[in-house]
Amino acid sequence: MVRFLLRRLIGLLPVMLAAMFVTFAALHALPGDPVAVMLSDHSADVGMANRLRAEYGLDQPLPTQFLHYIEDIATGRFGLSFRFVHLPVSQVLRDSLLISPVLALASLAVALTLGVLGGVFAAMHRNRIQDTAVVLVLVVGLSVPNFAIATFLVTLLSVQTNLLPVAGWGTPRQAVLPVLVLAIPSAAYVARLTRTFMLEVLQQDYMRTARAKGLSERLIVWRHAARNMLVPLVTSAGVMLGGLLSNTVVVETIFNIPGLGRLAIDSIFARDYPVAMAVVLLFVLFYAVINLLADLLCALVDPRLRRGMAG
Amino acid sequence: MSAVPAAPRSRLLRRFRRSRGGMVGAVIVVVVILVALLAPLLAPHPFDATDLLNTWAPPDHVNRLGTDRLGRDIASRLIMGARVSLLVASSVLAITLCVGVVFGGVAGLFGGTADGLIMRAVDIVLAFPEVVLAILVAAVLGTGTTTVIVALSLVWWPGIARLTRSLVLVQKQELYVDAAIVCGTPRLEILWRHILPNIAAPLLVRASIGVGFIIMAEATLSFLGLGVQEPTPSWGSMIRDGLPTLRSDPYLAMFSSIVIGVTIIGFNLLGDGLRDTLDPRLHGH
Repeated sequence: MVRFLLRRLIGLLPVMLAAMFVTFAALHALPGDPVAVMLSDHSADVGMANRLRAEYGLDQPLPTQFLHYIEDIATGRFGLSFRFVHLPVSQVLRDSLLISPVLALASLAVALTLGVLGGVFAAMHRNRIQDTAVVLVLVVGLSVPNFAIATFLVTLLSVQTNLLPVAGWGTPRQAVLPVLVLAIPSAAYVARLTRTFMLEVLQQDYMRTARAKGLSERLIVWRHAARNMLVPLVTSAGVMLGGLLSNTVVVETIFNIPGLGRLAIDSIFARDYPVAMAVVLLFVLFYAVINLLADLLCALVDPRLRRGMAG
Repeated sequence: MSAVPAAPRSRLLRRFRRSRGGMVGAVIVVVVILVALLAPLLAPHPFDATDLLNTWAPPDHVNRLGTDRLGRDIASRLIMGARVSLLVASSVLAITLCVGVVFGGVAGLFGGTADGLIMRAVDIVLAFPEVVLAILVAAVLGTGTTTVIVALSLVWWPGIARLTRSLVLVQKQELYVDAAIVCGTPRLEILWRHILPNIAAPLLVRASIGVGFIIMAEATLSFLGLGVQEPTPSWGSMIRDGLPTLRSDPYLAMFSSIVIGVTIIGFNLLGDGLRDTLDPRLHGH
């Protein structure tokens, strides 16, 4: 187990190095002189320009700048922002840092609950009207982009009935719609996975045995059948969490939530590239860590995988 | 030659006709493609004609679906938007199929160092979530249609390359490849002339399933403001424009959401239908 963990952690290094290299290259491939942008109407002031250039380390050769860049990331400072002159990027990120992961985790919980319930429900009513209804909802949930679904949910729940606030962040009521909208595609995915899986399991011999023993339908479905879903669910939960995390950008745009993704997009428009690149790096790191955790979790849930990893 | 050489074309067609979802999808897709091709003829008004005295108009007999914040006809913009969506989708498909097949094919056929290098690159690209990759590209290239195409191509080629590699590895075991090698056929010609026709069906299925996702990704990037820019209409940016006024003028967001939803459902149903027809073994994957 420990060896597996170590190997995976070492495997992260090239990815993070590549990400740092790519973001560094992107920062320097950008058209225009950031110092000129920062100075705007003072751009004729050579002394000021030189001072800024020194503060941002832009007067040094590129390899040195790259080393400084890595050092800045390792210390968590992420360099200095272009938009808020003199301010470290870490300060700009501070208030947004936790919003996106919280959104993604809450949506994952909602997606797993709704998806498993919906999938089991459909499988239990195979080929009947309830099943067809669930499958139709699944097609919509999987195909229609969530910002298009959001249009209808906001109209229904906020505009027409005033049940929930239209936008914003901070109160639990404001979180309901964003979490729901973010969760819908994943919930549909989980439901489809669960339905297919349950249809297969319900035909196994041991299901007939359980029925013959006279167990109640509920006991059969939840204790004997649905339990086997654990491994595929944990596996896909990891993949989904990564997708959910990057999709927070969309939800934050719809509902005007000041999260990391929104900050990255705003920074692009404001030409504050160091902030945008810091968000890119953070997302890559989150993504990698999530995948690592998912693999570990799988190993915990499924002893067969654990043995495979040791060798 | 296809992956199922035993089935003549008419039987494939019959099998496809039996899939109800596939037929519904095919009808939707044909309509969308026709609309995109004939867009200038079908649009009742020029898509960029503004009318500042008639902004946010509700649907009436002049503007069937109403107007947006600049008084532009929503119906005409939706019709032109089909063209933009399909243009981006077909560009991305063309690019990713070329790049993915070449790199995946070379990796599978040659193995060794080439394989290692290409697959390492694939792993690294896959470490970036797609929206994040788009943010990165948008930072370098600025926002616009090119950014969408470049970003989505970057996201999509690794998948195609992986699939091609695994398909080529299977074909490599076949006798006809050995025969071609013995005949002294150059490796790349074996790939192009002999292996490619045998792996075309699963690649086509993959591509057709991809279209819906690419249209969705394009709309997402345009929705975020990173993609297609004004005055060119894109369904994603139309929804973005419509969302803030949902309370007073819901038509822009509503109609755009319906159009994009139906289009993607159509492409996905068609893709699933094709998959079941052309490659029954892939079912459920």
